This record gives sequence, C-alpha cells and structure tokens, in this order.
Amino acid sequence: MRAAPFVLSTIIEEPMSTAVSPTIEPPLAGPAPRQRASRGGSTLWRYLVVRFLLIFPTVFILVSLVFFLMRITGDPLTTALGGKLPPDQLAERIHTAGYDRPILVQYFEFLGQTFTGNFGKSITDGQDISSLLLTHGTATLELAFYALIVAFIVGIPLGMVAAYFRDRWPDAVLRIFAILAYATPVFFAGLLLKLVFSVWLKVLPVAGRATTRTEIEFQSLPHPTGIYLIDAFQTGNPAVISDVLSHAVLPGLALGLLTAGIFLRLVRTNVIGTLSRDYVDAARSRGVTEYRLVRRHAFKPALIPIITVIGLQIAVLLGGAVLTETTFEWKGLGFELAYYLSKRDFVAVQGIVALLAVIVALTNFIVDIIAALIDPRVRY
Amino acid sequence: MTSASTRSKRVLGLAAGTAVFALALAGCAPSTGGSTNSAGGGIIIGTTDKVTFLDPAGSFDNGSQTVQTQVFALLMNSKPGTAVVEPDLAAKAEFTSPTDFTVTLKPGLKFANGDDLTSSDVKFTFDRQATIADPNGPSYLLGNIASIDAPDDTTVVFHLKAANDQTFASVLSTAAGAIVDEEVFPADKVLPDADIVKAEAFSGQYQIKSYDFNNLISFEANKNYDGLLGAAKTSDVTLKYYTDASNLKLDVQEGNVDVAYRSLSATDVADLRKNDKVTVTDGPGGEIRYIVFNFNTMPFGATTPEADPAKALAVRQAAADLIDRQEIADQVYKGTYTPLFSYVPDGLTGATTVLKDLYGKDGKPDADAAKKVLDDAGVTTPVVLNLQYNPDHYGESSGDEYALVKSQLEATGLFTVNLQSTEWTTYSKERTSDVYPVYQLGWFPDFSDADNYLTPFFGADSFLVNHYTNDDVIAEIAKQATETDPAARQSEIEEIQAKVAADLSTIPLLQGSQVAVTGTDVKGATLDGAFKFRFGTLSK
Repeated sequence: MRAAPFVLSTIIEEPMSTAVSPTIEPPLAGPAPRQRASRGGSTLWRYLVVRFLLIFPTVFILVSLVFFLMRITGDPLTTALGGKLPPDQLAERIHTAGYDRPILVQYFEFLGQTFTGNFGKSITDGQDISSLLLTHGTATLELAFYALIVAFIVGIPLGMVAAYFRDRWPDAVLRIFAILAYATPVFFAGLLLKLVFSVWLKVLPVAGRATTRTEIEFQSLPHPTGIYLIDAFQTGNPAVISDVLSHAVLPGLALGLLTAGIFLRLVRTNVIGTLSRDYVDAARSRGVTEYRLVRRHAFKPALIPIITVIGLQIAVLLGGAVLTETTFEWKGLGFELAYYLSKRDFVAVQGIVALLAVIVALTNFIVDIIAALIDPRVRY
Repeated sequence: MTSASTRSKRVLGLAAGTAVFALALAGCAPSTGGSTNSAGGGIIIGTTDKVTFLDPAGSFDNGSQTVQTQVFALLMNSKPGTAVVEPDLAAKAEFTSPTDFTVTLKPGLKFANGDDLTSSDVKFTFDRQATIADPNGPSYLLGNIASIDAPDDTTVVFHLKAANDQTFASVLSTAAGAIVDEEVFPADKVLPDADIVKAEAFSGQYQIKSYDFNNLISFEANKNYDGLLGAAKTSDVTLKYYTDASNLKLDVQEGNVDVAYRSLSATDVADLRKNDKVTVTDGPGGEIRYIVFNFNTMPFGATTPEADPAKALAVRQAAADLIDRQEIADQVYKGTYTPLFSYVPDGLTGATTVLKDLYGKDGKPDADAAKKVLDDAGVTTPVVLNLQYNPDHYGESSGDEYALVKSQLEATGLFTVNLQSTEWTTYSKERTSDVYPVYQLGWFPDFSDADNYLTPFFGADSFLVNHYTNDDVIAEIAKQATETDPAARQSEIEEIQAKVAADLSTIPLLQGSQVAVTGTDVKGATLDGAFKFRFGTLSK
C-alpha cells in the first residue's frame, strides 16, 4: 500500500492545458480508446481551420499592442535621438520620417508593412529589420531546439523515475530538483553553469555560438543557413561540429532545465495517475512487473500532456531566450531585443516582438494540430 | 519474478543512461580553447564596441571608427606610435594662403574596387559630409570649410572661413575626412553597410572580406592602398564582437582571441596583468572625466536666492582642495585612469599641472586649505551639494567613482553631498536645462589637439551650457587656434588653462589610458596619442 503523496507535490498535480489548446476531457481510463475512429474527418478539418484562422486575430492583437505600447513613450526618433539633437533638427527628422502624422495613419501603415514582411530599418544603426529577423531568428530557433532536447532527455526519464519511486527518497530529490529547475532564474542558472563548467573546470566554452575560427569557416560556405549545427555538418569537419555542439551545451542546459523541471513534474503526475487506473491494476494482478508497467503502460499516455504544454513552453523559452542569449552572447532575437531596448530603438524592438508573437501563435497552432491528432481527450 | 532491488537498479540505470547521453553531448566538446584552428593563420581581435554605421557620414563613435580607421584612408594621418599629423594619401598639404589649405594627392591612387581615387572623390567626400550633416556623424568638425575646389585630378583646395586654422590638419585626420568613392556612395544619404562591403568601396589599409554586423568582420589587406601606413603586416584580420567584457577577458586569456581591444573592466585588466599568457599594452588615452558646476544653480549660484559669486567660487575651490584623484584612480579604476591636473591631458602640447599647483597639497587633498577658503568667503558649513552622475553612459564604475567623491567631500564635514543618478537620455536633457547644480561628464576627443579640450568647453559656444563665461578666455582660445608659431601657441594654451583653473568652471578628475591585451605571441600592438588602433601593425 502506498503512502500519502509527498507534500511537495502541489505545483503541478494535473495535466496542464494551454490557453489556446483544444478542450480536454477528463482523463480516460485505459489505453487509447477506440472512439477516436468515430470522430469525423470534416469535423477535424473544421477544427483545424478555426484554429488556423485564430492565428490572425491573435497576431493582430499582439502586434497592435506592441505598436501602441511603444508609442506611449513618444515617437521612435525622439526616444532614440532625443538627447543628441537640437529640437529643430529633431522636429525636422520626425517630420521627414512621418512620425508627426496622426497615430492611426501610422498604425495602419505599420500594419500594412508588417503583413507584407517589411519592418523598416532600425533607427540607431540603419539595419534592415526583416534581414535582422531572418539572421537572428535562426539562432533563437536553434537555441530553443537545444533547450527542448534538454527538456526531453532530462525531464521525461526523470519524471518516470520519480513516479516509479513515488514518495521515496529518489522521488523527493527529483521533485526538489524540478522545483529548483523551473524556479531558478535562467540568467542565474546560466552564470552558475558558466562558472562551474567554463571558469572552474574549463571543459566548455564561455559564450558564443562557435569559436571565431569556426564562424570564419561558415562565412566561406556556399549556402550558409544561419543554423550553426546544419552549417557545421555542411563543412564536414568533425572539429567544427564538435565546436558548435560544445557551445550549445550550456545555453541549452540553462534554458532547457527551465522546461525540464515542468516536464518532470508533469510526467511524474501523469504516470502516477495512469498507474492507479483499473487496467493497470489488472495488469499488476496478472504479475506484470512495476518496471514494465511504467515503461509499457504509463509512459505513452504520460507524454500526451507534454505536447500541449510545449505550446506554452515555446513562449516561455522565447522569453527566457532574452536572458539566456544575453548571458551566453548567443546572438539571436532575444540578444538583439535586449540590445535595441538598451538603445531605445523601438522600430527594431517592435519588429522583433512582432516576429516573436507570430512564432508563438504558429507554434500553438501546430501543437493544437498534433494534440488533436494524438490526444483522445481532445473534442472538436 | 524481478526483485524490488533489481527493478530499482534498472530504473536508476535508465536515469544514468539519460545522464550519460546528456554528458555525451558535452563530451564531444573540445576544451574551451577549441580545436578548430584550421581556418587560417590571421589575427583575431575581440571588442565590446559596436558599429553603428560603416559610412563615415553616418557615425562618429568608437565602435564605428575602429573599423573606419582600417578601411578608409585620410588625407592626413599619423604614423602608429605618434600623434604627429602628416600626409597620408596626400603627397603634400599646406596653407597656400591664410584661408586656403591646399592638398596634393599622390598620383595613381585607387580604391580597393579599382576605381580611381582623385581630387574629385575628395571634394565629393567633404561636400557629402556637409550635405548629409547626420547628427551622429562628424560633419560638425568641418564647420570652418567655406568651399572646396578640385582644379585637377591631384589637387584639392580647401577655402576656409577662419584664417590660419591650426587645427585643420588634425580635423582632416579624423573620420570626417575619410575618403569615399563617389562612384559608390550617394551624395545626400548614408549608404547601408552591406552596399559598401559589396562595392568594395574602401580606400584604407584593409578592405572588408565578409561582414556580419556586430558579430564578425573579416578584413584582408587592401593591395591598392598607397598611403602613410604602408602595407599591413598581417593580411587577414578578424574582428569579433562581444557584449560582455568578462567573456572577452576569458577568451583572450584562453587564446580564443589574439587581441582584446576596448573595453575590459579595470578589475579584469588588473587580473590580466598578472597572467603570463597575455601581455597588457598601455597607451595614452584622450578620454577625460570631470565635474561640472552650473554657475546659476550651484550653491550661491547666480539664480539662487543666496547668489554670491565669491562664495560660489569658494565652494568650487574647497571642493577642488578635497578631491583625491589618485585614490579614485587606484580604488575604482585600478590604474586604468590616472589623475588629471589640467584641462589639456598629458601627452598633448600645452598640458600642464596647474590644478596640482593651485589646489590641495602636492596632488593630495588639503582639508585645512578647503576650510580656510570657505571661512574666508564667509560660507557656512556644511555646504549642501546636489551631485548628479550618470550610471549608463560613462561606464559601470561611475557609481563607485562618485560614491568615493561624495565620501572625500564629506570626510571633513565641510560638505554634505546628496548623490543622485539619472539614465542618459534624461540626463543629457536635464543637464542643459539647469536641473543639476553639480554633475558628472566625460569627454573623448574628436581629434588629438589641445584645442579640442578648450574650445568646446570654454569657447563662445560651450556645449557645457553651465553659464560660465570669461571673455579673456574666449578671446585667447580664438587666438591660439590661429597662432602659426608653435611656441607662442603652446604658451597661450597654458595661459588659458591657468585662467580656467582660477575660475573652476569644471574640476578635471581623471585621464583615461588605452589598454590592449594580446597573446604573448602577438607583436606590434601600438596605442598612441592619436587614439587610433591600427590592425596593420599587428603580427604573430
């Protein structure tokens, strides 16, 4: 007979759902039910189309919010150059740039530019925002990918271990680890990792996406992608691949542990929930071992909520990327966002934030699709 | 049936396997130094500066100038190791009349892309600066140019508004005079960086081979350059951009970059001086840090209820008596700044130690002198000083610096200092709106000449806007700028400083030094009074 649940298990006790995720029915007992086959294809399509169409108002609202919030502080030129120019010259530049026109005129122009992918040029250094988004967006996506890998390979197995050892010391240790993982500020985790692995042990690089010599090598590639891992494979040089991977470890860990803690708790809760179902009890009574029960019967159902949580976690990862990228000089969107914020270059900032909003909305849409296809509890 | 302990071992084994997999990712990593040194034998330089615009008409900041110095040639320049201005692309440059400065170009000059570099390009360069007049650019330095003629392919005549401008050659040695290709650059707007790189529109010692904005710039020697600096000692140089100075410090320490140039923290530099793997090279720095008094709003200032010029002067003098510059330099900046006892910093013609002679005792604070000057003026102590500083524009150590200034002023009980800080955008507006009675400023020179430390501060149109005016000083500043006799000019510069030191419009505190940290296998790092770091002198 099992003891009462460990007292620390209060933060995530039920499968999480996202704000934009489909409706989820109460957990079903037993393996994937056969009733999925009865769900009509046309209903699924309608559900997906609705989800897709919802992207547009979501992005529209986010982009509009960004625009108006930025304008609260005044026009971008005054914000960026206010301390450097005499008032008459500043007024002339504001007029030339059209920032003295009615706010709604500027707003609709901004919307038009945004939906055609033209975000203009940054004020402080004249960079084309669309190119900047493309260049640095790949770096951020690569970091998010590494972070998700870390989250999966740390969070899921350890969650299963915690469930298996429910209310025993390994469970207690892992739950404390999970709390620490998602409660520790990502920049602090980053600094700590750097201190230990780069400064003290000297086994991993301090910062950056690759050594300078590797980046020089990438510049000679005929078709660089900006995703360093792919570019490293393009070189065919094992040292370069190793170099890129070594630079990814600490940023990936710093950002990934944040999500790994959540995955760990989620998997643990779901595995424990599944292990208490009737069909599992039946299997147990037939002599199936606990290890086999966890591995064969509880593992797959426990993964389903992970899919929906990923939708939320992408937003968390992108938010965390600002600090992670700054800490590790990982020159992605978060790094650029912090830089242009410090320069008060709000044209660049609103372009970056708009792209992040689109990424989050699209990711949630994809997650909704996957959840609808694999999660029997989703109704549409 | 499997025992409980066996099951536990299996699950723990699974967890261990996961950990091994995670570590395997790290395991493929080489040590921090990396093992990818196969990409070439050039020199890698790290910096925390940022480029704003490559186009010399669009920027005048340290980050942009570091690159511009390498890729754009000048009519006048200085050899590495000196600050003496002499012809670069010019074969000859001289005043042919009091208001005509005539430059003769070397024959057969070309840009990196093969375009001819003629007097027409030179005229285009300076006219373009005046037309664009970008607020972030250096065009304001060219205010003395009335017009420019290019009578033939190698002759350029600058017609000046003020005669015998002794600073004009120095102005031509700044980024304002960086020669650009009229076939590539538009006459009325700043050219995007990518277009400049694509067109190979470079006239300097290097050209840019690849350009990843504020991440990585690869340079290669420009074979068409035929100027003062000669051929670069190392053909391939890469400039790597950092945000965090501590990362740059670790990378130069580990040999991942060969040179770290601007800007390591004082603590990091002090630490690196003890490291056998690197060499720290110091050079004179043009940067100065100082305290400004607003003559209207400081204690006993002109617009205060208790206005009294004599008492206001006594307050400034007492403050000057109590400041311990050496302590600030040692404690806060670990020797990366040195005490500054004059308005023109050490290393430039006309530099003195006038403040050392007038205030304190042998450069150290003198509480008795401060008390006496306040007592003699009838000032009731403690005097309340509202001292403002900026934490984000003059470096992270400003807070420590001004905390120490407060401590020094308050140590004798003669002053009570209310220390406040404001972020730069607001600070730069408020300091010129009489909001701050006493405040911090810093200065990095536009060009290497004493005039650049006098005219902007104490001339007719002082940017300080602190309501200090001395007609004698203004007249002497104008005179020295056109004095053709070097000895007489030096004497006038010293005289100006003596007068300003008596008035104490500002209290100079510290003079910066330039620092470059190199691997022990790197030679040729040269930091001089021209404040330009040339990649062409570096070799391994």
